[in-house]
Amino acid sequence: MINRYKLGTGIPVSNSKNKLLKAASRAWQLSCLFLFLFAFTNISYAQVTVNGTVTSSEDGQPLPGVTVLEKGTSNGTSTNVDGEYEITVSNTESVLVFSSISFQTQETVVGNRETIDIQLSEDLQLLEDVVVVGYGEQDRKTLTSAVSSISAEDIANTPSASTDQLMQGRAAGVQVSANSGTPGGGIFVKIRGTSSISGGSDPLYVVDGIPIQTGNYGLGLGGETTSALADIAPSDIESIEILKDASATAIYGARAANGVVLITTKRGSFSAPRVNVSMYRGVEEPVNRPDLVTGPQFEMLMNEAASNNGEAEPYANPSDAINTNWADQVFRTGVVQSYDLTVNGGNETVKYAVSGSAFDQDGVVKPATFSRNSARLNLDILASEKLTFGTSTTYSFSNRNRARNNDNITGVLGGVYFLPTNLPVYDSNGDYTKFSIFENPVAAANEVDFNMDVNRLIGNVFADYEFMPGLTFRTSWSLDYNQIKEDRYDNTFLNNGSAVNGSALSTVAIARTWTVENTLSYLFNVGENHDFSALAGTSVEETTFERTTAEGEQFPSNDFRRVQDAAVQSASSSGTSSGIASFFGRLKYEYDSKYLATFTVRRDGSSRFGENNQWGTFPSVALGWVVSEENFFQFEDISELKLRASYGITGNQGGIGNFQARGLWGGESYGDSPGTSPTQLANPDLKWETTRQLDIGIDIGLFDDRLNFVYDYYYKKTEDLLLAVPVPLSTGFSELVQNFGELENKGMEFGIAADIIQNSDMNWNLMFNIAGNRNKILKLAAPFNVYNRDIYRYEEGIPMYSFYFHEQTGVDPATGAPIWTDVDGDGTFNPNVDRKIVGDANPDFFGGITNNVNYKAFDLSIFFQYSYGNDQLNWNRFFQEHGGTRNTGYLSSQLDRWQEPGDQTMVPRMTSANYAGNLRPSRFVEDGSYMRLKNATIGYTVPIEFLNKLGAGISRARIYVTGQNLLTFTNYSGLDPEVTATASTALTRGIEFYTMPQARSIIGGIDISF
Amino acid sequence: MKNIKTYILITLLAAVGCDVLDQQPQTAISDEIAIRDLKSAEAALNGLYSQIQSTNYYGSNIQIMGDVTSDISQSIGTWDFYREMDTYVTSAGNLENRNLWQQMYAAINHANNIIADVPNIEEITPAARDQILGEAYFIRALAYFDLTRTFGGVDGVYGEMGVPIVTTPSRLIDENSFPSRASIADSYQQVQDDLDEAATRLSGFSSPNRASEASVTALLSRLNLYTGDFAQAETFATDVIDNFSFDLVEDFASIFADENTEEAIFELTYNTTDGNDIRFWYFPSSRGGRGDIALHEEYVDMVASRPNDERGDLIGFDANVGAYYSSKYAKAGGDDNIQVIRLAEMYLNRAEARVRKNTPDFPGALDDLNEIRNRAGLADTSGTGVDTAPEILDAIEHERGIEFIQEGHRWYNLIRTGSALNVLTNIDRLNGDPVSLTNPGRQVFPIPSRDIDSNVNLQGQQNEAYQ
Repeated sequence: MINRYKLGTGIPVSNSKNKLLKAASRAWQLSCLFLFLFAFTNISYAQVTVNGTVTSSEDGQPLPGVTVLEKGTSNGTSTNVDGEYEITVSNTESVLVFSSISFQTQETVVGNRETIDIQLSEDLQLLEDVVVVGYGEQDRKTLTSAVSSISAEDIANTPSASTDQLMQGRAAGVQVSANSGTPGGGIFVKIRGTSSISGGSDPLYVVDGIPIQTGNYGLGLGGETTSALADIAPSDIESIEILKDASATAIYGARAANGVVLITTKRGSFSAPRVNVSMYRGVEEPVNRPDLVTGPQFEMLMNEAASNNGEAEPYANPSDAINTNWADQVFRTGVVQSYDLTVNGGNETVKYAVSGSAFDQDGVVKPATFSRNSARLNLDILASEKLTFGTSTTYSFSNRNRARNNDNITGVLGGVYFLPTNLPVYDSNGDYTKFSIFENPVAAANEVDFNMDVNRLIGNVFADYEFMPGLTFRTSWSLDYNQIKEDRYDNTFLNNGSAVNGSALSTVAIARTWTVENTLSYLFNVGENHDFSALAGTSVEETTFERTTAEGEQFPSNDFRRVQDAAVQSASSSGTSSGIASFFGRLKYEYDSKYLATFTVRRDGSSRFGENNQWGTFPSVALGWVVSEENFFQFEDISELKLRASYGITGNQGGIGNFQARGLWGGESYGDSPGTSPTQLANPDLKWETTRQLDIGIDIGLFDDRLNFVYDYYYKKTEDLLLAVPVPLSTGFSELVQNFGELENKGMEFGIAADIIQNSDMNWNLMFNIAGNRNKILKLAAPFNVYNRDIYRYEEGIPMYSFYFHEQTGVDPATGAPIWTDVDGDGTFNPNVDRKIVGDANPDFFGGITNNVNYKAFDLSIFFQYSYGNDQLNWNRFFQEHGGTRNTGYLSSQLDRWQEPGDQTMVPRMTSANYAGNLRPSRFVEDGSYMRLKNATIGYTVPIEFLNKLGAGISRARIYVTGQNLLTFTNYSGLDPEVTATASTALTRGIEFYTMPQARSIIGGIDISF
Repeated sequence: MKNIKTYILITLLAAVGCDVLDQQPQTAISDEIAIRDLKSAEAALNGLYSQIQSTNYYGSNIQIMGDVTSDISQSIGTWDFYREMDTYVTSAGNLENRNLWQQMYAAINHANNIIADVPNIEEITPAARDQILGEAYFIRALAYFDLTRTFGGVDGVYGEMGVPIVTTPSRLIDENSFPSRASIADSYQQVQDDLDEAATRLSGFSSPNRASEASVTALLSRLNLYTGDFAQAETFATDVIDNFSFDLVEDFASIFADENTEEAIFELTYNTTDGNDIRFWYFPSSRGGRGDIALHEEYVDMVASRPNDERGDLIGFDANVGAYYSSKYAKAGGDDNIQVIRLAEMYLNRAEARVRKNTPDFPGALDDLNEIRNRAGLADTSGTGVDTAPEILDAIEHERGIEFIQEGHRWYNLIRTGSALNVLTNIDRLNGDPVSLTNPGRQVFPIPSRDIDSNVNLQGQQNEAYQ
């Protein structure tokens, strides 16, 4: 298994120009990196012509496309399809340099030879050293910024619908958690903390150079969200690079403050067609189910509450009560399966990668499912020595069966928790038992018909033109077309449908982004030791969004499900748009591979901001010192020692409306009369948020880079926050988006990558990362509370996602009354004022540990992921530990109530005063720390000798079994310590509220290549 | 230059322009052109009605708030905010309390825009200008009236501070955006002034869906009960009863089942695409509602003890929940119109005014009371011991209660007459202990903590019970 997640691996000592040559040979493949070799050479007239063939040392096959350069000059050629070349060099002293991607570069002196045949050997080590960065690639060794890489191998065979989730635990400082276990659902991703309060804090995602749409396009269903990243098949991904510091991100300017995730997909290669088939299939099962009281317990508790309140007991014989386990009615074991077919190959004029993929996943709560079918074509046409053009295009079709879960009391899980367990599933007429506003969970699971279909095309065409070696112009035209169609029918068995004889909704949303980028890159050196690479470019981007919705009610019967057949119909449509125009540049300088400097700048204009502040400039600088390259550095065991520092300014313009700066009126109606009404106050000074980030890092490689450490300290300060500042409601408005407020994130990241055992029989490789981030709100206009019942509070001096509760320190053993903290110290507990911050959802530290072991034909991978110190709110308990103040279901934790003097418990005596509606007891805020065996895989690769004997042309075959979410160690009492049920409500995090937990999956799979 | 074609191509590519920065909203217009001619002024006026018909105001919230805090309705669902009000533990952070405040000020700001901009429109007839401005003044008066009685109280009964008075439109945030509370007298004076402005501009009555001379006069009648000028209250009530063609409809239920009956003075209109939530809250889930707001059993028993009272027909029992619900609002799709002021109130206002004015007129008061009783199928009060002033006032209050079940009147009337602390005691609840209003300070609602936090000039001005 290749470890691409090397931390600062380096080639012990090598000539920097060699790397440049290698890079030049693959310039066609790079998004925008320009490599130019510019040498001042003495011209000699004693020219010599040599020719030869370049072959692979592995199998002796000719290698086309190998760059052959006369060292120190711009004189060069490349091998043809048969691996042959011919070159005329200055004299017999000339040195020829042979380089090709994924092969070790060789040099040889021409001497008196006329024919020079060369065998190149594959060099995986070199491949690992290349890091994709904004508009290009760089060598890990001379990289001056903080970038984490995740390779295809790391994430292969992991049953996840979307790419963002695959980053979990793999990269230091990248916090990833699933909002719920809903397949294809939204994922929380924050790079180095949350750098914005309301300006949007998700990273920018760039796929093959195309900034793509991410986020939630699904209709609101409570807190349930969908992830637009689920449209990309993880099997197409070659690598994921996460740009973390300002030096790496500032080239993306006004959208870079939250970090940038670069996703690179697999491309063709110089080889015969290679077919790869991967498939896996397995089961998904719930790990935990809601722990609710039985029917008899329900009636017993209700009687106890009534009697404590001095009322008549409602149930005569609790022990005879019906006992319905609602959870068992809707939790299920589902199937997850994936099939991928990839063909790639190429010759000296065309390289291609074509793939098709199908993925299906069932949620562990009915009826949620996700499926995706996708195809990709990546093509590179080497039209001439100077011109390369091609495309990276993917189309996917995905389907979700959606359900009303998460922060939704009338959904499947809401029903599971709310319906008393002493009710039967069906009443005496055989109809679903109805209870209050809640949906019978069986009805909610079986009768809801809610489909979301997404058609997504992400494509670009590009052309590279090399004016002269090293000076390259690139143009790239991209489209991200995202069409989301949702159809819902709530039939008459559901509350929503029964009131109106069936309710249907059909909506189509089209989000379209086109991007045109032009870049010019120039690579040159001055003298022996001064290497420069320069990049300049422009980018223009426009996004439009439209939605058309039709709704219908009053259907002749449940056989009709489309709006056309509804007696009452209504429709609406809307649209919006935004644009960004940008200029950017980068200059990288290396002195003798020891001293490194990178400068970037981007200037962005955004349609979102007022004329006063439409344009912003975002610079960065980074310096690096490769100490281990110094002559004085004579430590045999330390193969690499690099110090890095960067500082830069990035922006953020997310999270706000497209026309947020303007004073607006919108449409309204009064009965049948059309009207208008003020919707927004004007703020002509509105501009982007600014994040200044300092990063100091060190990369250490020991023992020929078998043991690597990377450490980063960072400090990020975000100013001019785009904040919906509460304005007095007496203005007629509730808020005004202003640049107000400051936020800080600081932290440390540490990673280890170790090749513990490396021999012909066995490899054992360990990767470990840990990061801690401290988030603090520095300045706000006024404290404000978020979400129903004000359970999150934002004020200066505390971190985001802080829980604001009545601190309950215990229950009086004498009376059973809860004991509250008297926050203002006035001697009495007053629920109006005595609330305080009782915790926050941010982990103290988090990360992952991976062990990969290969022993002969077997491979074993064990991946743990962990989060420590995060508080998780079990909000289900607020509603299901109601102490009899509601007539709805109870969690079993209610059974721990105080019953008689002397009882030691946190759950108060069941009286209406102890459970009054204005109380927000802190006992529901729990320690959400966890460690999870996220993935364990064992595989067997069939020996090549056996495959050869088989003679079926199969070059590689591997079978494996893998388990996902196998074990979770936590003290948290809910179903999943990771979830955020309220993902559709900004500024909330770490709350379980009728949330589908993540599944445990057991999967078997096979990979075959031929 | 063999590369000339390349250069041309590159120039072309690089020329893709910055016009992407010029984007215009598709679903909104600039505030600068929102009110610029007759058509846009009329649209803005329609929008103003939309503000007061919002779910947060007359679309259900003010009725529920005035209802659950009285002895008529109880909050038995999961929506704690109404339960807080129901059990007299309302917190300053209560969402529905804040929604009401916010929506009333949204209406006021909207009216302020019309009042500021419409006089500047040149191509408009004086009549059209007066009509638009008159309606806007009326709605601003209504909003200030509701604000003051909800958050300020009733001068001389309970409360001293009124509400922040804003009379200019908000376009930007500046130092004028942070008003402090006016006195309660000044707040009611603002209502009076706006009604006077409206009265000079509006004449006659054409539709209950629009503010009219009749609605202005009717609100003046109500206002004068709050300010204690009972002779005026009687005069205005008489004006409404006599001078427009209103009539008490024979079939009480038809006030709600039909639309724009002869009884309606000011009725907000809805349809299924522009609906309200009132049925949703007041209807049991078995009938497609949320079922949160049920009737108090004792109140139902009291109504049921008057077997001939037709208004009792609009009460039903839901066996599923085991609670009584009102069926005043029963139309699917949120289509029920809302009665803001209807004629029955004018009779009861006049009856009360006739008892309480300096020269009481008991027979006249009883005539008015009996008008309402007779319409409901009840006999006159004669011979039932309703003779003295306190007895008549009690009977009027009692009649108001039943007449306006779930129309949001009772709480405000009990506060206004100073009887809330006596009447609202030991009210049995379905899902908890009986409750009583014991703290006099809770006769007004809290200023939303949200505005105390965001407006430095409101700090220290919270109502006493919520400090």
